[in-house]
This record gives sequence, structure tokens and C-alpha cells, in this order.
Amino acid sequence: MHRFANPSRFMRVADALLPWMIALCLPLFAAGLYYGLYQSPADFQQSETVRVMYIHVPTAFLAQAAYVVMALGSASFLIWKHPLGDLIARSAAPVGAVFCFVCLVTGSLWGKPTWGTYWVWDARLTSMLILQFLFFGYLALANAFDDPARGDKPAAILAVVGIVNIPIIKFSVYFFNTLHQQSTLFGDLMGGSGDAAKSVNQPDIAAAAAEQGSALAPEMLLPLMLMFGAFSLFFLILLVLRLRGEWASVRLRALRAGFRPAPEEV
Amino acid sequence: MTALGDNRSSGRRRSPAARRKRTRLFLVLGGLVFLGAAVVLSLFALRENVNYFFGPTEVADGKVPDGAKFRIGGLVEIGSCRILGDGVTREFTVTDGAASVRVTYEGLLPSLFRDGQGVVALGRLDMQNVFIAEEVLAKHDETYMPTEAVEAMKRAGTWQEGEPDGGAKTVTGAGTTDPCKAL
Amino acid sequence: MTAFLAVLTRDLRLALRQSADLALVLGFFVIAASLFPFGVGPSPEILARIAPGVIWVLALLAVMLSLDRLFQQDLADGSLEQLALAPVPLSITILAKVAAHWLTTGLPLIAVAPVIGILLNLPPDGYVTLLVGLALGTPTLSLIGAVGAGLTLGARRAGLLIALLVLPLYIPILIFGVTAVDAVLTGFDARAHFLYLAAILAAAIPLAPLAAAAAVRHGVEG
Repeated sequence: MHRFANPSRFMRVADALLPWMIALCLPLFAAGLYYGLYQSPADFQQSETVRVMYIHVPTAFLAQAAYVVMALGSASFLIWKHPLGDLIARSAAPVGAVFCFVCLVTGSLWGKPTWGTYWVWDARLTSMLILQFLFFGYLALANAFDDPARGDKPAAILAVVGIVNIPIIKFSVYFFNTLHQQSTLFGDLMGGSGDAAKSVNQPDIAAAAAEQGSALAPEMLLPLMLMFGAFSLFFLILLVLRLRGEWASVRLRALRAGFRPAPEEV
Repeated sequence: MTALGDNRSSGRRRSPAARRKRTRLFLVLGGLVFLGAAVVLSLFALRENVNYFFGPTEVADGKVPDGAKFRIGGLVEIGSCRILGDGVTREFTVTDGAASVRVTYEGLLPSLFRDGQGVVALGRLDMQNVFIAEEVLAKHDETYMPTEAVEAMKRAGTWQEGEPDGGAKTVTGAGTTDPCKAL
Repeated sequence: MTAFLAVLTRDLRLALRQSADLALVLGFFVIAASLFPFGVGPSPEILARIAPGVIWVLALLAVMLSLDRLFQQDLADGSLEQLALAPVPLSITILAKVAAHWLTTGLPLIAVAPVIGILLNLPPDGYVTLLVGLALGTPTLSLIGAVGAGLTLGARRAGLLIALLVLPLYIPILIFGVTAVDAVLTGFDARAHFLYLAAILAAAIPLAPLAAAAAVRHGVEG
């Protein structure tokens, strides 16, 4: 694993994978949107608004995944001093910030017709907003120093500190009686630990659906999974593209400072 | 400042390295004690459950103090919603199966509001134990099903009564059905 | 332990010698609070309704505004570098500095909070909860603030940056602090809120100095 901590070696692999990821991502998006918007049925409760899910859920997942990538990269940078970790964290931050923003906006637009409000200060929504602020804080801190390389360590520390928010987001819907519903896809992870909210809001229908394996009908699971795949690949593509830029700017700074790269590294 | 360099007070006749190791051990142990305390405290706190809303049973049990403003959460009892004489105020019953509370609300209900739907209302109880709501939000559960599948389940008779939409009719477009009947 | 006390007394003595700083923070707290009756109108009900939130938000801002005192001066005169080089673990030194910071900002804020409560017409039942909440919450504010202050050492526009970093992390404390008072005022129990505040504090005491020490070490070297 440490072999790939060499940025130029890592970039060679990433660059080779990039066209394949693009080639896979585009049809997945096309299929996901086709199934999501045309081919999947309307929900029995929410009718057509349920289609917001196909954007909202993947972006919510990826915003958190981006933060975890950022924190892991930062941690490896702090512990093993892998420069690649810092590069990955810096590349993931703006992408995660945008995913988080899209998640908040789509959630808000979904909330109005279903719950009756654009925004409510329950634990899930608030912790997601804090995630957005953490992304902003990371970006501001990483770029707050006259010498760009000076910001890497403080930003990495912030990213590691902020990781406490991720489990809060995940479990907020179980530990607090939130307006936000509990997880459909990963709900079984928590077993039966749901509290009063569960008994109040999950009548027998959930049990009936659970017998079929998931509380999400298969016709809806398919477009959701397609969009999950498409968005994940999209995230990876953006990550690689941004990594190229970050890596180039690091090398540019090194060259400016008079550093002569070894021939095989170029 | 002088005390910073003064190491004689702790660990006599120890090499600096051994002393540093000992301090580190104490630090780690102390840190673990605090982290353990944090876990225990939050477990206690979770048992208390800071409620985003109360259920009708808790309201009936008198868990909510008089005059307190709180949120009530439960299912809309089937066929309970009425539009009162003024044409604006809606009155419905929120139930959790064991107890139920009358709720009145002046204003537009969310489109997901229907018989059997989970709702959360913010307001307070009046003298007659009627809940005067200032805001009614629909609490959606994590179940998604195609309209056709629900129709099919109903035809097959596997659809149990008391479920969301209560078997009245499935919606075909948002906001086309009003579960509230005018008096 | 001796090192802890040495740093603590040193910082306390420095803070008391420059008591104008302390007066500024308290002055901000009181003056900003007295703006609210003009801003929202002097209606006692409205003031009573917003009083817990206003006091908490202002306490939070006051702590944040005083964070530059933690490391900035010591960095400027070089003593922070000395502390970082000392054989004592830096996190212990930072814990001592945070304790001194809390004693010279958090504690005075708690002492002044009842006066603001009177100015804002806070109902009598709320005072004890407010003060207990502040006592459990303001140390955490200083601890988290130390991380922010350490991270922004040497940054451009450090004051604004520190707000961006620290305020989101303050949100949970604000939530539990304010809802505790609201819960008591509407007749509920505030025990759960206190437990959460205590849990956050217990977690922050070992973790925040660690992160702050890493940040300060980097800030001193850079």
C-alpha cells in the first residue's frame, strides 16, 4: 500500500484508469436518469416527488464519503507524512462541499412537498449543515497561508477533528426522534434499536416490505443503485482530475524553489 | 516557568527517557478515563432521550407539563379529519394505537397528509386537552413502494388495514386528494 | 502536575496583569446583550423567549473573540516556542493554558450571565439551568477554541478564519445549552441536556489538547 504513496506512481495508475471510469460513468448516468425519471414507478405516498431520492441519497452518501476520504488522507499525511494523503484530501474537499450542497438543496426541495417545510432544525439536517461548514472551514484554512504548503498540516488536523461529525450524521436519525426518516438502504445495520419513532411511524407496511428484503421496492432500488454507481464514479473522476491539478501545482512550486526532479520522477 | 525544568518532584533517579515514558503512560491512562466517562455519560443521556416529539400515550400519561409548548407525533386516525365551520381550521386525531389526541390546525396541511400518515405537530394543549397546532409536518417513513404494487397488494388482500392511506384511494398526483371532509 | 500548575499560574498572572482584555470581553458581552431590547423591541415576553439563546450566543462569541489571547502573544514574544520545546508534553501545557483561559473568560461570563438574564427578563426558573449549562459548556468552548486558535497561528485574517472553523463545532454545545433552559422553562427536565454537555466536555478534555498541540507545534515551526 505504501508503494502507491508515491504521488507520481499513483498518478500514473489513476491516469490510466480515468478513461475507463468516464466510459463507465456516462452510461450509468444515462441509465440511472432514464430509469429514475421515466421507467420507475411513482411512490404510493409521495407520488412523483420520490424521484428526488435518486439525486439526494447518492449525493448525501458521497458528501460523507468525500469527508471520510479527506480525513483518511489527512490522517495518513499526519501519521506517515505521505504527501499523497494531503493531495487527496485537498482534492476531495471542494468536490465533497459541492455534493453536500446539492444534498442540502435537493433535500430542502424534497422536504417542502413531503414534510411541508423546506428546513427543520432536527439532528440529521443540522449535522449535515455542520458537515457543509466543515468543508468550507477546511478549504479556507488550507488556503489561508501565504506559503500554500504551510496550510496543509492545520487543514489536515481540522479534517481529522471534524470526523466526529460523520457518526453523528449517520446515527442522528436513530438516537433522536428526528423528522428525517430512518435509513432505507442501510437500516438493517442498526437492527431493532429504533425507538418510539419506529413504532409510531412504521406501521405494518414496513414489516410487509421488510419480508421482501428491503423497504425499497426493487423497481426503485434499481435506479437508485445506478445513480449510486454513476455518482461514485463521477466523484472518483473529479478526484483524479483535481489530483492532477494539485500534483502539478506542487511540482510547479518545487521547480520554482529550485528543486531538480530526478529523471524517472518526471 | 522555573517549575517546567524542575523534574525532581516526580520520578527520582530515573533517566529522562524513562520519566518521559511514565508521563506518557499517565497521559494515556488519564485520557482513557475521560473518554470512558464521555461514553458512560452519553449512554446515560441516550436513555433520557431528548425528544424531538412526544407520542399520544406520553401525552395521556401526563409526561407533558401543563401549558408547555411541544411537538406531538403519531398517525392520523383514519377518517378523523374534518374541516370546521370556518372553512380553514382542520381538526383531526393523532393516535399511536394506544392513546389519541385531538388536534386542530388553521392552515394548509402538507400534501403527504392523509389518513394513517405519520405527522409531527408543534403547539400546545388547551384546557379541553385539544392540541392547538401552529405547524403540522408530515413525517415520512423509510418505506417506498410503487403505486401499482400497493393497488395489487390490495386486490390480493395482503394489504393490512390501518396502513398509510388507509385503503381509501391511492394518490395519482400530489395534492389532488384532501382527506379532510367538510362538516 | 507541577508544570501544569506553573503554566496555569503564569497565564493567570499574565491575564490579570492585562485585565483590560478581560474587561473588554465582559464589556462586549453586556453591551451586545443590551442591543437586543432595541433590536427586537422591549416587549418582556419576546425578550424572555429569546433570553437563553441570546445569552448563549453572546457567551459563545465572547469566548471566540478572546481566543487570540491563548497563543498569539506567546507566539509573538517567543515563549510559545520555549513551551513547545520543554520536556513536558505540549498537550499538558495547552490544557493548562486552556484552564487559565476559561478561568479568565468563561468563569467571569458565568458570573455576569445572571445580570444579562435580568436585563433580558429571563424567567426566574431558568437561572440555575442557565448557569449549570454555562458551567458545563464554556470549558468545552475554550477547549475547542484552543484547536481553532492553534490551527490559525500565522494565518492571514486569523480572526475571521477562527470564526469559520470554531463556530460550526460550537453548534452542539449551543443546542444543548439553550434547549436545557427552554426545557426547564416549559416544565421539562434538563438532565439529559446536562449529560450531553458533560459527555462532550469529558471527550474534549483529552482530545482537544492533543489536536491543539499538533497544530501549535506546526505553527511554531512554520
